[in-house]
Amino acid sequence: MAIKFGGDFEVARSPEEVYDFLTDPRKFAPLLPDFQGMEVQDERHFAVKVNVGISYIKGTANVKMELAEATRPNRAQYKGQGSVAGGNVSLTAGFDLIPAGGGTKVAWQGEAQIFGRLTSVAGGLLEPLGKKNVQKLIDGLQAALR
Amino acid sequence: MSAGTNNGGWVGKRLPRKEDNRLLRGRGKFVDDIKLRDMLYLKFVRSPYAHAKVTSPNTSAAEAVPGVVCTLTGAEIAKQTNPFIEIGPDPFARIKDYPLAVSKVRYQGEPVAAVVATSPQIADDAAELVQVEYESLDAVIDGEEALKDAVVLHEDAGTNRVWRGVFEYGDIEKAFREAAHIVRIDKMHFHRFSSTPLENNAVIGQWDPRDEHIYYWCNNSFPSFAMQFIAAHLGVPIDRIRVQTFDIGGSFGIKITSYPQMSVCALASKKAGGRPVKWIETRSEHIISSAHGNERTFRDTRVALDKDGVITAIDSRHIDDCGAYPRYEPLGCVIWAQVFPGVYRFRNARIDFSQAVTNKCPVGPNRGYSRMQHLWFVERVVDICAHQLGIPPDEMRLRNYIRPEEFPYTTPNGCVYDSGNYPKMLQVAKEQIGWEDWKKKQAAARTEGRWMGIGIGTTLDSGTNNFGQSQIVNPNAPFSGNSQGANCKLDIYGEVVVAVGSCPQGQGHETTAAQVVADVLNIHPDLVTVRTGFDTERNVHTGASGTYASQFAVSGLSAVHGAAQKLKAEMKRLAAFLLESKEENLEFGVGQQGPQILAKDSGKSVNYWRLANIVNVNSAVLPAELYELTLNCRYIWRAPFKVPDTEKKYGSLTLTYASQLHIAVVEIDRETFIPRILAYVAVDDCGKVINPPIVEGQVYGATAHGIGAALMERCVYDAVGNMLTATFSDYTPITSMNMPDVKYAHIETPSPHSYSGAKGMGEGGAAPLHTISAALQDALFSRGIVVSDSFNNADTLYRAIVAKEIYRADKLVKVEKGAPKTARI
Repeated sequence: MAIKFGGDFEVARSPEEVYDFLTDPRKFAPLLPDFQGMEVQDERHFAVKVNVGISYIKGTANVKMELAEATRPNRAQYKGQGSVAGGNVSLTAGFDLIPAGGGTKVAWQGEAQIFGRLTSVAGGLLEPLGKKNVQKLIDGLQAALR
Repeated sequence: MSAGTNNGGWVGKRLPRKEDNRLLRGRGKFVDDIKLRDMLYLKFVRSPYAHAKVTSPNTSAAEAVPGVVCTLTGAEIAKQTNPFIEIGPDPFARIKDYPLAVSKVRYQGEPVAAVVATSPQIADDAAELVQVEYESLDAVIDGEEALKDAVVLHEDAGTNRVWRGVFEYGDIEKAFREAAHIVRIDKMHFHRFSSTPLENNAVIGQWDPRDEHIYYWCNNSFPSFAMQFIAAHLGVPIDRIRVQTFDIGGSFGIKITSYPQMSVCALASKKAGGRPVKWIETRSEHIISSAHGNERTFRDTRVALDKDGVITAIDSRHIDDCGAYPRYEPLGCVIWAQVFPGVYRFRNARIDFSQAVTNKCPVGPNRGYSRMQHLWFVERVVDICAHQLGIPPDEMRLRNYIRPEEFPYTTPNGCVYDSGNYPKMLQVAKEQIGWEDWKKKQAAARTEGRWMGIGIGTTLDSGTNNFGQSQIVNPNAPFSGNSQGANCKLDIYGEVVVAVGSCPQGQGHETTAAQVVADVLNIHPDLVTVRTGFDTERNVHTGASGTYASQFAVSGLSAVHGAAQKLKAEMKRLAAFLLESKEENLEFGVGQQGPQILAKDSGKSVNYWRLANIVNVNSAVLPAELYELTLNCRYIWRAPFKVPDTEKKYGSLTLTYASQLHIAVVEIDRETFIPRILAYVAVDDCGKVINPPIVEGQVYGATAHGIGAALMERCVYDAVGNMLTATFSDYTPITSMNMPDVKYAHIETPSPHSYSGAKGMGEGGAAPLHTISAALQDALFSRGIVVSDSFNNADTLYRAIVAKEIYRADKLVKVEKGAPKTARI
């Protein structure tokens, strides 16, 4: 099943500052909800561990992330693939940075594809949970870029 | 009645099932009851993706777990085996189907690795540690979309089209030119569902290094077919494979295709040094990855009718979705043709039939295999035309049924319907349900604004198939005809022992075989011991042995009857010598010392023990001319089939045609849209009934199966191939709580094609699908609704009635010629 999300927000920082933050896994990854740890392989690849809990299904998701697009200071896009008990997830998350006033408008969009038995066991819960976690991530980003 | 008393005529009696004594006491022997020394347990690691590239799984973490003995991957299996045989022709003959995915997965739940451990729990835990890298690919889950080949599942084939063929008979164009009415139906769809046997798939496999034999203890329901696939796959002479089945908790055809899992168990055993390996399928594994029934879409249907509503021609295009691997397919591409015109008389027809692979669980034969999809289509055509032309559905059927005096009836494609009386069945069903009363209640309900409908469904259960039909889909297929084996002997102490090549799953073969032999020998069925289950080493099987396709009553019992007759003939020769009498003076029966043969001229008798003793132990008294007697008689029954004309797709495809006629009264709740069955009747005709309670039980079971499929059970996939109904909570199989009261009645039109007049039965599972669709149609037609899907629950009915998203008559149906009955939307 696919969960799509998107929106925008504005911050006071310049597009370059926002871009540098978003493309630094050490700064970006800890904002992921229920972040547990990470391992950086190179400047474009890293792996994160996050806690996942959907009703009685609880575990740790291992997600391999790749900075797939990096055009400073206009756009960054991540692709990721991870697994958790009962399912796998493939996701993309893109950020378009547009100068706005003295700061930056961040237009974000993404899609998560969920695969596996998880979708039948917890299908109805996945979309609201996914949207809640994405909102947490965006809230964290806004706070960090304030 | 004591075992020593015999009144004869056991065939047809309401004899309690012999097997119930142990099954109802919990003393049945199922695969999971078997514990072998040093036995190991296997767990499959399954793909969460419907379509993805895979790299070889990393099993090192699993192998490090204490108690794990070994693991297996697809790459390992591909190195030491051949891909499974494909039944179909090129290009699908070129695909490579292994029991574990090698470089790509093609449906969610496809096994990618196996873990073997000393306990099921260790195997479960270790399986979670196997790491698999997936690269997700676009999935195609719709058969029609798959035929466009935008996403190709099997690169070796280069297309998703497994098979295509046009079945054309009569003069279509003339029929349409001369038609008084032409009805066009844009699209109909038969949904995907499965069976829910009490016992899931189960196998213990052992590749014994001491004799290089492979031993299986399993519940496969067509072992002689499975063995042919396994032997070629593993490169092992088939005589080195021993398969045994025991009590089986239901199959409904679904267990025919467990041979991939059987292969993995044997290979795992080999890797584990010859220790037996057990795999017991979980319920969710069964739902997601064992086998589903075929899903089918019917496109661009045109129906020609005369001025009285008699159908003269049907022209249609059908697309069958067989899931990710063909396996038993493309046999389903021709098996539907056993019932080409259903129960109707039309002689002109053209069906353009294609089958596609999709990223869903492979299909397998499922109760009413391939025929129920087609019969549902024919019944919907008849019912839709009746409503469009304003002809009462019962009258429409009477005008179109094959008439009783036309039997044996040769269909346009050369099948011979042996016997039947469909008008009589309709009459009985109407009497049983109280047709006129319900029509009055329906009229009253409609004045109150209630949605009540009465539906008729007529269906056929074709039994004992001609495997030669496989040559219609692949002229090089090495199968034709049909055969079954049986052995009947006097054991060394004179016990009558019967062995058959079937593997019953609740059909009562132990009882019916005993009834047949008891009649031949004029003894009580309790004096006949029937070896249950299949065992290659009993040497009574043929390449067609197993339990499937509604055939035991004809093929199995004909073999039993033949073996019993051979035994009786030998016993007569021997008794005539011992009693110094002539064979014609001998009488079979039961005396003071048990079963015996009596010389009527002298009054002397010999019991079975003495007969057996002389042949087996006390043989010095036997004259040389009787040395050939063994009292151990094997008989192979062969169906009188010829190979069909593969060019014209013409020939006799099945030997017997049982029929079912159901009527349902259904009301849709106006608040919840839940359809409720208010009354239901099932009339069955399987020719001579061998054992009435067994037939009734199968009719009730099949009816439950069909009602569940019509209203509750379906396999739902999302757009990327996730199966969303992978547990009973979501799949919602029918239970006794959901079953309406079903009235049962039967008529008997004996088959001229079987020695006893019996016809195979048990697959009438389709009848409720036709019947309930028709009842819903009847309830909703005045609202401009045409029921065009076989599955209907509250959600679909809400979408039809309120949201008007589906079933819109103005979009689905067009009367091109002749005056339509206007429907109100």
